[in-house]
Amino acid sequence: MSTRFKEAFQEFWRLNVSKIGVVFLTVLVILSIYVVVSYPLDFGVRYWNNPLYWADYPKSAPPSWVNYFSNEKIPEHYTFSSIKPSNTLLTESGIRLIYLFKLDFQADKTPTFLSLTVKNVTYYDKPVIIRLNVTRPDGKNIELYRYTVPAPYVDESPPYKRFYDQSKRISLTGDLSVASILARFLSREYNVTIKPSEVNSIGQHKIIFSIPKGDTQFTVLKGDYTFYIIVDTYDSRDSVGEVKLVVGGDVYGFMGTDSLGRDLSVGLLFGFPIALFIGIVTSTITTLLGAGLGIMGGYIGGKLDEVIQRTADFVNNIPLLPLLIFLAFILGQNLWIIVFLLVVFGWPTLTIIVRSMVLQLKSGQFIEAAIAIGAPRWWIMFRHIFPQVAPFIFAQLIFFTPTFILLEAALSFLGLGDPTMPTWGQILEYGFRSGGIYVGLWWWIIPPGLLIIWTAITFVLIALGMEPVVNPRLRRMK
Amino acid sequence: MGLARTLFMRALTLITVLVLVIFFMVLVLGATGTSDKILQAMVNEEIMMLRQSLAKTIKDPQELERVINIRKQELTEFYGLTKPWYVRLPDMAWRVLTLELGKARTLKTFAGGNKVSDIVMERLTNTIILVTSATVISAIVGLVLGVRIATRVGGILDRLSSYFSAISYAIPTWWIGIILILVFAFLLRLFPFGGLYSTPPPSDPYMKFLDIIWHAVLPVTTLVIASIGVWIYTTRTIVLNTAQEDFVNAARARGLPEELVRRRYIMRVAAPPILTNVILGLATSISGAILTETVFNWPGLGRLFYDAVLVMDEVVVIALTYIFTLVYVVARFLLEVLYVILDPRVRY
Amino acid sequence: MLMILLELNQLKLYYTTIRGVVRAVDNVDLNVEAGEAVGLVGESGCGKTSMANAIIKMLPNNVALYEGRIILDGLNIVDLPEDEVRRKVRWRQISIVFQGAMNVLNPVIKVGHQVAEPLIIHGEMDRDEAYKIAREKMKLVGLHEEVFNRYPHELSGGMKQRVVIAMALVMNPKIVILDEPTSALDVSIQAQIMNLLKKLKRELNISMIFITHDIALASDISDKIAVMYAGQIVEIGSAEQVLISPKHPYTQKLLKATPKLTGEEKPEFIPGTPPDLVNPPSGCRFHPRCPYVMDICREREPRRFEPEKGQKTMCWLYGGET
Repeated sequence: MSTRFKEAFQEFWRLNVSKIGVVFLTVLVILSIYVVVSYPLDFGVRYWNNPLYWADYPKSAPPSWVNYFSNEKIPEHYTFSSIKPSNTLLTESGIRLIYLFKLDFQADKTPTFLSLTVKNVTYYDKPVIIRLNVTRPDGKNIELYRYTVPAPYVDESPPYKRFYDQSKRISLTGDLSVASILARFLSREYNVTIKPSEVNSIGQHKIIFSIPKGDTQFTVLKGDYTFYIIVDTYDSRDSVGEVKLVVGGDVYGFMGTDSLGRDLSVGLLFGFPIALFIGIVTSTITTLLGAGLGIMGGYIGGKLDEVIQRTADFVNNIPLLPLLIFLAFILGQNLWIIVFLLVVFGWPTLTIIVRSMVLQLKSGQFIEAAIAIGAPRWWIMFRHIFPQVAPFIFAQLIFFTPTFILLEAALSFLGLGDPTMPTWGQILEYGFRSGGIYVGLWWWIIPPGLLIIWTAITFVLIALGMEPVVNPRLRRMK
Repeated sequence: MGLARTLFMRALTLITVLVLVIFFMVLVLGATGTSDKILQAMVNEEIMMLRQSLAKTIKDPQELERVINIRKQELTEFYGLTKPWYVRLPDMAWRVLTLELGKARTLKTFAGGNKVSDIVMERLTNTIILVTSATVISAIVGLVLGVRIATRVGGILDRLSSYFSAISYAIPTWWIGIILILVFAFLLRLFPFGGLYSTPPPSDPYMKFLDIIWHAVLPVTTLVIASIGVWIYTTRTIVLNTAQEDFVNAARARGLPEELVRRRYIMRVAAPPILTNVILGLATSISGAILTETVFNWPGLGRLFYDAVLVMDEVVVIALTYIFTLVYVVARFLLEVLYVILDPRVRY
Repeated sequence: MLMILLELNQLKLYYTTIRGVVRAVDNVDLNVEAGEAVGLVGESGCGKTSMANAIIKMLPNNVALYEGRIILDGLNIVDLPEDEVRRKVRWRQISIVFQGAMNVLNPVIKVGHQVAEPLIIHGEMDRDEAYKIAREKMKLVGLHEEVFNRYPHELSGGMKQRVVIAMALVMNPKIVILDEPTSALDVSIQAQIMNLLKKLKRELNISMIFITHDIALASDISDKIAVMYAGQIVEIGSAEQVLISPKHPYTQKLLKATPKLTGEEKPEFIPGTPPDLVNPPSGCRFHPRCPYVMDICREREPRRFEPEKGQKTMCWLYGGET
């Protein structure tokens, strides 16, 4: 048995397609294991499909490496955060915490947004005041924002805790007070008269990162920017957990983001274990069920065989996709239901083939010999028939896998995927439905498709490599 | 003598399949409570309309409520909502069978009607345009190339086509469509993003025809790319297997000219199984077009199906599932008939 | 009537396979006279069918070598262009009844038309005329009128074989090659077909090359018997000579392996395995299985000796001089 296996493997390994397939599969498995180990189980619900989590990410941003291919440099995405102030000053009223963030800005376009987030603020006496100032490369200083943490409620006693459950995110872009400050700044420094509402429509972040050229034109101001987050506290026990400043870019990471700002590399990575799971689990159950029914029907025969054959014939005669969609639609979108449905529609092909193989084997002498010595039915099926058809079944298992991966992707693309788990098909679906293809968001559309193809091809290659191993056995059986 | 009987038996089997599918669908609908939901929605809609019309004549709110409640009771009775779903089953099956599924909830015909059968019929033509042209093109190209390759086994074309068909097995059709849109519609601006014709459509019928063709190029190409590999490969295999049969060699031994051998002894014999593929391909691609039509916003049955799923219009989803099965089963039957005509071996 | 119709001279047909070159027909000499039936006997895989194909130049794609002379009507078929072989030789002069009649008929064409087809193509006859002749031939081989309009799958094995025979006769060829014409049939049908063939030979006075693995069957119809081993004709002589006093040890073994109706003798097996045509044994190809093997047999290929007039054999036992 083991030498037979070794020989078969050598035969398989001889072909280049097998080697490529195995290498591909190894990479897929490693990536999947990484995801399973490092991602939380509720990744889909808690992070992926939670827009709040992605608020500080640039929307529809291409991958950052596009900058290597374009003359005009698109701004990168900068996130500054700190749990410890860079400086503490003693003032007459209390302690001033200063957080300092430096940014060497060299892109040819202004950032896309600006936001400030604070987390876990505690105060005992008066509400803490948070301010944001910026010093630009031209030496000009702007006091951008001032925020007082909500005062104590009636009956609330110190310490007053704020923004523990949910951090406070202040979007400077779109904030009218920032707009007025910037309008005053422009008229004071550059003699440009512009209404706060106009600043708001141009974008606060744009004004901050540029100098006016005429009344309506702005040119990007490159160089060193220093952002100061100044927190004035009135009690020595007052504290701030974390401050975060985001200078929104227009490129992001290795794979870019979608229209909700979700980091596609994170979602695409999560797709690996799901695709492998659906492909392999569905295929395994389908093949085992299909082969099992085929062996039983073929060997036992009679009424059982009749029932199995009729059912297989029936399932084979109905159009797969519409009924799959119908059932996924009615029964609900859940990973296990999808796997179940794929199995229900998948088994007959194999059952029909295996049954005819078993019918031929059944008349073989070794089976008759086994019957003659009184071996029980299940023993014959398991020990004598199964090993004969096993190589073929295994090849079918591999061969079916891409079909199921593609079917799940198709269902997902139609909006029938499991919403708690992002898959490549779902990412594509959202990209399609939200109009990503019509504005050419290629980084959103191409990678998930390529990953689906890559995964499917891996199994096709292995199946191709297995063909010469399995086929001579088949021929011998005929 | 046996011909009619064979066909009759096949027809019977396929009708059984159809009936079973409907029965199964109805079972699922009933057991999951979806059927109750649909009927309830129908009752509610009628009540709503009734309320609007009665509100003008009956001014007393209490009287109005009373009248409406009576009507509601009648309707609930009429639709069988008082009975459990399994009692309603036969009626329900009949409704599906005759497409008397009432009105779509949100989807409409192009003219604005909402009768399910009207919506379906309207879209059917568009699907047929798309699917048949794609299948005809793939069939012609696939047959010609397949036969050519079969005569030059092991050549470059042969290897290329087998790689291609292996790869196309792993590529989702709809993704090809998306990529075509990205390249030819977005990047090169050569073809439209989707739809059946421009808005507003050209008034000149000839121009309108060209406009439709212009819109059909990308979706048809998608379907062709997706299926051509399989076409070439199957044709090649079938022709090759036939060419290796003894009777082909025997015909050559009889000194029959090669041309005649190829036509009458290879192609004629290979035709029935190849034809099986054509029709089966056609039947499956009608439902397979669900995805392609969705991608290209082609107003056929497939896109309708997607829209229905999207807006949760159960009535339309059910109707379409039934139509797809029907088309498939009818195509299978036509296939049997043609096969019997072409291949004398199955006439028994 | 010593008129030589067909003369094979040093005929060779080699194929290329993954394992190497298969020497299926290796230096074969054979004459077929008018009205004579030659039985070509040998184990399966000894090159009998290849020889039949070689005679009508039906060569597979992997031919490595095809040379020698096949003289028919003063023409050498080996050198004749394919198109001329097709038009002048096949079916007009030489026809074949292929092995396994089940598969040699086109399943989608009515058998009558298939029989008549060569007439329409080669004889440039119109359809009615051709059909008339085809009907006659089918009647000659004992087929009922109505078979003409049947499809192959509607016929029994024996009927199909008769159709194939009728087909072989339709152009009145000089030579019919019968390749295992009865091997796929039931024994009773086999006898019927043999009787038919004997009748045809008698009535039509055509030459036959009767290929079989069954020497007893060959003896039933043949005037001359050629025994083939590993691509070579190792013994040839009149049927009587070969059957009664076989010279080559292989022929002797072959005869002993045939069950007989009379006598106590039990059939014997020929020891050893059939030779590998890719790497045939050195010297005499039969030597690994030969009970009388001598040193010379291992080293040199035997020439053709004639121990009795008209009976030739390739065996050193009869090579008196060295």
